[in-house]
Amino acid sequence: MIHARGVAKHFLTRGARVEALRPVDLDVARGAFVSIIGPSGCGKSTLLRIIAGLETASEGTLTIESAADQRAGFVFQDAVLLPWLSAEENVRFPLDAAGVPRDEGDATARRLLALVGLQGFEKALPRALSGGMRQRVSIARALSYDPPLLLMDEPFGALDLLTRDRLNDELLTIWTATKKTIIFVTHSVEEAAYLSDRVVVMSPRPGSIKKIYDSPLARPRGERTKLDPAFHQLMADLRRDLA
Amino acid sequence: MTSRAIWRRPLETIAAVGAFCLAWDLYVRWTDAPSYLLPPPADVGAALIQSAASGELAHHLLYTLQNLILGYGAGALLGVAAGVALAKSPRLDRALGGPILFLQTAPKIALAPLFVIWFGLGLASKIALIISLVFFPVLVGTMVGLRSLDSRFADLARLLRLGVWRRLWLIELRAGLPDIFVGLRIGAVQAVVGAILGEWMSGRQGLGYLMTFASATYKTPLLFGAVVLTALLGIAVYQLVETAERRLLSWRDAP
Repeated sequence: MIHARGVAKHFLTRGARVEALRPVDLDVARGAFVSIIGPSGCGKSTLLRIIAGLETASEGTLTIESAADQRAGFVFQDAVLLPWLSAEENVRFPLDAAGVPRDEGDATARRLLALVGLQGFEKALPRALSGGMRQRVSIARALSYDPPLLLMDEPFGALDLLTRDRLNDELLTIWTATKKTIIFVTHSVEEAAYLSDRVVVMSPRPGSIKKIYDSPLARPRGERTKLDPAFHQLMADLRRDLA
Repeated sequence: MTSRAIWRRPLETIAAVGAFCLAWDLYVRWTDAPSYLLPPPADVGAALIQSAASGELAHHLLYTLQNLILGYGAGALLGVAAGVALAKSPRLDRALGGPILFLQTAPKIALAPLFVIWFGLGLASKIALIISLVFFPVLVGTMVGLRSLDSRFADLARLLRLGVWRRLWLIELRAGLPDIFVGLRIGAVQAVVGAILGEWMSGRQGLGYLMTFASATYKTPLLFGAVVLTALLGIAVYQLVETAERRLLSWRDAP
């Protein structure tokens, strides 16, 4: 699905060249759930933004296998909902902006809000929703135009642990139901180990890929996964690499 | 809000106005001030009623109102359009930013006679004066609003591959609306000043003309009446803009 070869990012500040991301190679298979983990300043968000097309790589080639007009779905760390639109209108926004007929957008928005567990909140404005609910709306919005690729930039980083655990499980359900390819940036070892098929560990200054783990854990994941010794071994490995 | 609370504010306002008129009336009686200097409130009311009965008042009021609507509408539209252009084009901003700052700080009131020379004694010069007063605050508000766009909204627009106009209409103008309304509110006050001033300087119509006419002919009660009406007109225009703002920006305060 995604092939990155020697993708790097640097920029100039006052004539000095700052390396944000050293050349990285990364392959992501169609339908895979890949996490990118690392401390702040390791370039993980930069890599994600390059894949999303929000930034351009300074070097290297990036190939994304999808129809040319396919946009990636993107979930920001803090939802980034338009505050003047209701939950439903926010979910529908990409469709409305693309001129999709109203009833079609309506149906999609309702279906997706139900998928993320927000039935009955269609008319609520973002400021009336909790952080977790806002993030659910934002996930529904990213899914509205049915992108094959879903990019998530620390989507649950600002949420409390209970909400985060619940949303992790819901995300896996959505992933199974929609068969998206997901790239998930996080700084939580547990989240990365629990969710992913592959975990990419990055190290900072300058940002680069340190190691890539293929998860030994079976699917579907759930409470049993968290008791699996292999889960704890993976978390221990990740922690060691991050230290 | 309870029904008593709803009535409280208008009642308080009426009481305050009543107390003011009473004090005014008592002052006139005690000091025996001549009517051409300070007419009692009853005379002012009588002059207004007399002028209204002849149809004259409505004529002047409607003329001023028409100029206000035309000038304010055109000034606001031009201000938003120019603000968008300057916010979107750094080159245009570099070229025009200086002259605009100069024009903005120059007292437009001083330009009023120039407008008469340029646009004549009729409607055009009056509208031009109002436009010049409304244009700049709206321009600045629009620029501030568009410039302060949350960079994540810009990311969202890029992700969704919105074109320039869709991005402007669906995201930027709406996100910038609170700042645009700051300009619109300042513009509303300025527009009334401009409307009255324009009529003051030339022509035979409008509340501003009524004032010069009343003062030139020592009809002081009528002059007071025109002043009061102008103040009420200003308040009404401001309230109208505020109401529009409350409705359009209800997402800011309502849960």
